[in-house]
Amino acid sequence: MPKVYNWQIGREMDYPYEGARPKKQFAMLFDTNKCIACQTCTVACKTTWTPGRGQEYMFWNNVETKPYGYYPLGWDVKILEQHGVQDVGGPVYKGKTLFESAPSGERILGYLPEDLDYAHPNVGEDDSFGDMQQGELLQIPHMQWMYYLPRICNHCTYPACLASCPRMSIYKREEDGIVLLDQTRCRGYRECVKGCPYKKTFFNPITRVSEKCIGCYPAVEGGRQTQCTITCIGKIRLQGFIGKPDEIREDNPIDYIVRVAKIACPLYPQFGLEPNTYYIPPVHVPPRYLVQMFGAGVERAIAGYRKAADDEKLLGALLLFGATPMIIHHYKVEAGVSIGFDEKGGELVRVPLREAIHVRAAFDEQHQAYRTNIT
Amino acid sequence: MSTRWGTRLVLAAALALVAGEVGAQMAELRVVRVREKGPFRDPAAAFWKDAPATPVALLPQAMTLPNNLKPAVQSLQAKAVHDGKWLALLLEWPDATRSDRIVVDQFGDQVAIEFPAEFKKDALPSPMMGNPGGRVEIWQWRAAFQQDLERGRPQVTNDLYPNAHADVYPDELLRAIDARPYMGAVGVDNLITHADKSPVLEQLAEGWGSLTIQPDDQRADGKGVWADGTWRVVVTHPLAGGEGHVGFAPGGESAVAFAVWDGGSREVGPRKAWSTWAALKLAE
Repeated sequence: MPKVYNWQIGREMDYPYEGARPKKQFAMLFDTNKCIACQTCTVACKTTWTPGRGQEYMFWNNVETKPYGYYPLGWDVKILEQHGVQDVGGPVYKGKTLFESAPSGERILGYLPEDLDYAHPNVGEDDSFGDMQQGELLQIPHMQWMYYLPRICNHCTYPACLASCPRMSIYKREEDGIVLLDQTRCRGYRECVKGCPYKKTFFNPITRVSEKCIGCYPAVEGGRQTQCTITCIGKIRLQGFIGKPDEIREDNPIDYIVRVAKIACPLYPQFGLEPNTYYIPPVHVPPRYLVQMFGAGVERAIAGYRKAADDEKLLGALLLFGATPMIIHHYKVEAGVSIGFDEKGGELVRVPLREAIHVRAAFDEQHQAYRTNIT
Repeated sequence: MSTRWGTRLVLAAALALVAGEVGAQMAELRVVRVREKGPFRDPAAAFWKDAPATPVALLPQAMTLPNNLKPAVQSLQAKAVHDGKWLALLLEWPDATRSDRIVVDQFGDQVAIEFPAEFKKDALPSPMMGNPGGRVEIWQWRAAFQQDLERGRPQVTNDLYPNAHADVYPDELLRAIDARPYMGAVGVDNLITHADKSPVLEQLAEGWGSLTIQPDDQRADGKGVWADGTWRVVVTHPLAGGEGHVGFAPGGESAVAFAVWDGGSREVGPRKAWSTWAALKLAE
């Protein structure tokens, strides 16, 4: 089996096909500290792409509560249990990837969810971890925790869905790295549903073939960010492109956040798919939980995020989240303003690093009236 | 393509050569001529009693990934008839459950009949779905297609999930042409999605992963009946072949191979039981 380099686990690994990175790689950043699970992204995706027959249960974008929320039920704990305990500490991953753990007769270690696993997308919503003991509610911070995990297809560099398909019905676009499932070629074997550890390919029982998140490619081709990104009212997302491991551009906000400041981490990097959605981890959650989910860099990421205000370039990149519907390819911070540019260098947006504070007198002389804090 | 698949392809080609050389020892399926006129669709027709039954041993597909080393069906029985214009095969195999409800964790029963697209006695393609340059034609009957024809295409809210509710679908609001983008594989006319006329798909292949439906050459028909733990499936097709497609003539010969999927055992795609070539000999 060919060897490919996976920068997220810091080593080469087995993959059924030769490694060939696309010219550009679709990527998305999520700031989990800002997500309130309003599901606006979920509804935006649903109404745009999956309102049809056979797609009723299908959420290409979903937001689940961790640690007890799952869609489909138990998707991550089930594959983690099959995968067994792996050593996730250290910059070079010493455990096995899912490709390297493939049982005899299979291309990858995976499992097919049960039909009913998709029936409760809100299971575990807002459930927190740990019992509340007498008096604990008076302590700050609380010992109990939960957080929201928004998820789309990761448009992986080494997709398991693509590797699992015996018909090569799934392909990764050279121009933007978006992973698509050919609706004319698929025969509904569900090998991709079984193979994808993130369970982001779905079977449509009416068309009898599988479907998946298309990275809003018609929007992306037009220089626009995805529906789930531009509708996010919390401005927790930024969608763009991540550079190759050896081509880090400091003026690309995604490269700066993931590769330079290193405050965002991939989801379950130990699976070995090199997923291209990156999460700024929740600062209040115990690292012991976060390390198995976001990899060894998670504590450093939290420390960096807490000091983001000290790094103007990082602050500038973070403030571009939700600032424009267009894809930001370059940015610079100048005179206290973060400026985002499109691919050709055209200016898209300006965001001040610090909002100006206006202090108004409590009494309005002109109208002879007292001001309240909503006027 | 990785070296592993490459190695397996070479191995399959070698096996194909072996299959061609041992032609003399092949099982034989005799196609008897009957007075009744085709197309033949009835598995219970009286003339089937006059056709000799050929037992066909089925092997686990173990050559390519993914595979299934313990398929549920180990053998089937084949009969064949023609009337000078139509060829029909009757296939029977045991299956304790009728599987025709297709949802994410439920798969359908299927059977496939394979012929060399161009029959050359000394150079048969690989029986394992052909090989590059060795094209095969595959007629595949699907229990779910049979159900589509007999009981109508299942709908989510009435059939698949009787208690489900959906408020509105795009095809209820939009013109048919505008609703197509919301219909996935149905909207791009992928024939795998459902059956309108026949429960049998006509397809070509030149090796694993290359199986392709021929939208302009869908002439196979048939019918499957499940009763008493047994599938009895008839597949019927005109003897004459179209341009580039398999054809037969009274008194002629070819080769035939089979594959069976037990949906209840989650068999699908490469997870199947298959046979090697048997000789197919048509009566005058």
